[in-house]
Amino acid sequence: MKKKGLISTCIILAVALTLAIITGISFSKKRNFVEDIVIGSNVTSQFKLDEYNEKLKGTVGDVDVYVLKGEEEGGSILILGGTHANEPAGHMAAIVMLEQFQVSKGTVYIIPNICQSGLTHNDPLEGTPQYLHFTTKNGDVRTFHFGSRASNPIDQWPDPDTYLHTSGDWTSSKIKEGVNTTQTLSGSEVRNQNRCYPGIQDGTVTERVSYAVTNMINQLKIDLIVDLHESSPEYAVNNAIVAHEDALSLAADVKLELDSVDLSIRVEPSPAKLRGLTHRELGDYTDAYALLCEVGNPSQGRFRGYTDEALAITGEDPCYQAAYKINGGTLLYVDYSSGNFPIALRVARHVATVAQMVLSMNFEVDDPAREVIIDNFPDIDTIGEFYEEMVEADDLGLWLN
Amino acid sequence: MTPYMITFFVMVGVFMIGCFALKWPVGVSMMAAAVIGGLEGMLAHGTSFSQTITDVVRMMVEGEFGYIDTILTIACAMIFMKVIEDSGALDALSSLLIEKFHKLPAVLLILIMFIIMFPGMITGSSTAAVLSAGSIMAPVLLLLGLDNVTAGSVIAMGGILGMIAPPVNTAALVICAGIDVPYVGFTGPLLLLTMPLAILFVLMLGLPKIKNLDYEKLKPALEKQDATRKEYGFKIYVPFLVLVVLMIFFKVIAAKIGVTDLGMPVIFLISAAVGLFTGRKINPLKAVPAAIRTATPVMAILMGVGMFIELMTATGVRGFIVVTCLQMPQALWLLACCISIPLFGAVSSFGACSVLGVPFAYIYGTYLGGNVVVCLAAISLIAAVGDMMPPTALAGLFAAQVTGVKKYTKILVKCIIPIIILLVWAGFVLVSSKKFAWSVFG
Repeated sequence: MKKKGLISTCIILAVALTLAIITGISFSKKRNFVEDIVIGSNVTSQFKLDEYNEKLKGTVGDVDVYVLKGEEEGGSILILGGTHANEPAGHMAAIVMLEQFQVSKGTVYIIPNICQSGLTHNDPLEGTPQYLHFTTKNGDVRTFHFGSRASNPIDQWPDPDTYLHTSGDWTSSKIKEGVNTTQTLSGSEVRNQNRCYPGIQDGTVTERVSYAVTNMINQLKIDLIVDLHESSPEYAVNNAIVAHEDALSLAADVKLELDSVDLSIRVEPSPAKLRGLTHRELGDYTDAYALLCEVGNPSQGRFRGYTDEALAITGEDPCYQAAYKINGGTLLYVDYSSGNFPIALRVARHVATVAQMVLSMNFEVDDPAREVIIDNFPDIDTIGEFYEEMVEADDLGLWLN
Repeated sequence: MTPYMITFFVMVGVFMIGCFALKWPVGVSMMAAAVIGGLEGMLAHGTSFSQTITDVVRMMVEGEFGYIDTILTIACAMIFMKVIEDSGALDALSSLLIEKFHKLPAVLLILIMFIIMFPGMITGSSTAAVLSAGSIMAPVLLLLGLDNVTAGSVIAMGGILGMIAPPVNTAALVICAGIDVPYVGFTGPLLLLTMPLAILFVLMLGLPKIKNLDYEKLKPALEKQDATRKEYGFKIYVPFLVLVVLMIFFKVIAAKIGVTDLGMPVIFLISAAVGLFTGRKINPLKAVPAAIRTATPVMAILMGVGMFIELMTATGVRGFIVVTCLQMPQALWLLACCISIPLFGAVSSFGACSVLGVPFAYIYGTYLGGNVVVCLAAISLIAAVGDMMPPTALAGLFAAQVTGVKKYTKILVKCIIPIIILLVWAGFVLVSSKKFAWSVFG
């Protein structure tokens, strides 16, 4: 019996070791996979985020900031993609803008992978794909990460039982005395990039990244920041702009303009008591207009069916189709009547919204010295045409270099 | 939706065959169900064979890590439990409590219930409550005259109420994260939901057994315990004090003064290490492997659960379950909520919070316009029942273990009436959440 037991133990250990090696290779490959962002002549320079927090040096959070500077001086905007790496349209929209925007006045800063750590792994229990592939006009296949909502535990672990968010050393004249800027959140939120603003210089890698972003906006006097997300179709804040109170009138103008080209979008005020988010903290701790965009993504919702790369790209899902039939579609906060919600449409919404934000900011600021001009999008009609073309083509690869 | 239904039946079928026909351990049956369900679901969907194998293997390991923190806590809690048992600390504390409170049996029972709940309240884990305070209180309850099953039932119910009671309620935190609600204002609703039930359950289960407690008759049975207490004096209680002090410091105070949380595993290990020097001699080389052997089946269940949920999600079965619940007529949503969430808890109560708790929180907190905080608190209480549901039944299994009950189902049967009362109370608060809005504070 003992010999038999020993043999079965050895077999089990050998199988476990084999599985560990196979998955170890897969996880290691994902951890080290570098996305091929194609830098065109529109990108005038790039620098590392550690310029705004030296504590990021040598960490996974020390990502590239791409600079698209026009020939004429003007204002500046910052576009954040990849805050939640399981929301691929946010990440991909930032890459499309990085590869397509032609800036003639002012400066556009783009960080497409602000939570690089989140891109390097997948959420346990969520059964998501590891990568997305798109074929470009030239026939090249480009590969991008599908990641996790939170930073990789390899970069910061373990999570506390509860995460007490604080504002670190930051102070703001905009926040009334006595207002509580600390908040208790679920322990795993300590790895959520969009719960760690304004950030802590020597905190966790996630907090350090947030600190660098806040510091960068203040140092460069950036006029507008927009954080690109996606949300479950059953989540109430969907196909929407979430705006800090200082940016509400700008967001309302964006909505009015986009409505005129049949791109329906809602405006939600940033809740003053929900701390740690870009639209709250970057509005409170910097002088920039702080905005966040949401678009419905069936591949991250809890109603979703079979989860794979195709779902992330097409958004076509029988479970969401069934859910849309419950109570006349009122359970969902996106129009799912077509039975899909493709990534080309989701990215098109983000790009069009950001382009309109730039136009509305120029109007709101009403100061030529702070204008930003993107040549591809001189007016709302061009934005509308682009949106329509991208949605109709339904192929994101066409907008990648 | 039909392919998802087939995969669902394959997963459940394989699990049942593994558990009941082949008599495999629950964790192994879960793993087999996950793997075979995953293979069937992916191949039926048209995924290539090589991609299916790669994905299933990756998701097995990925899912296994879903509960790694809980697994570490359980392993370390079992080491602590073994040390305080072998050192004589459990005996001494039982003797002390009975001597001081035997004249007030109802007060003694309520006190015991709150002690059982305490670790759950500050860790958000029923396992921590049952394995630490539950194991400490088990001999006390048995000496007081409760039979093993009743004592186990009191501990199990204390564990699940403790995990829901404030300040830390992990189930609510999981749902909060799912719908972007800050964990603020929960103290009042959670106290309202849990404290009346805690008092009711402990008196309902325990008082009939001990209301005629005769301390003089009990004394001979306490001889061994009294002797240990007298031999080692105060120092034998030091591991408990260390545990309580470290828990309060790291779970309540540390974050506010910028000190990093050590985490429950390390807190249990430090307390266990102290216990090596405060009572009877213990050989750690024997005690630690014995503790880990005891914890292995539950750790294996959690790993199996992680694989099961991950592959269930990937193959679309999770979405199928959620949408099927919501397809019921609106009038039956409450019933669906009170039944499906605890039933899913048979896989994992935290998994149930994420898979079903979040959609029901949307429904009751947003779609039907209830008070979000009260709704989330009530749903978290419903989810806690999952820790009593076999085969995982973390609270129930460990309660059986610490009270020496061989068949956990006896505890489940004993707890059925308290569970029904709990679900009715939680369901009532859920549908009347606006009426309980006054309780939102803290």
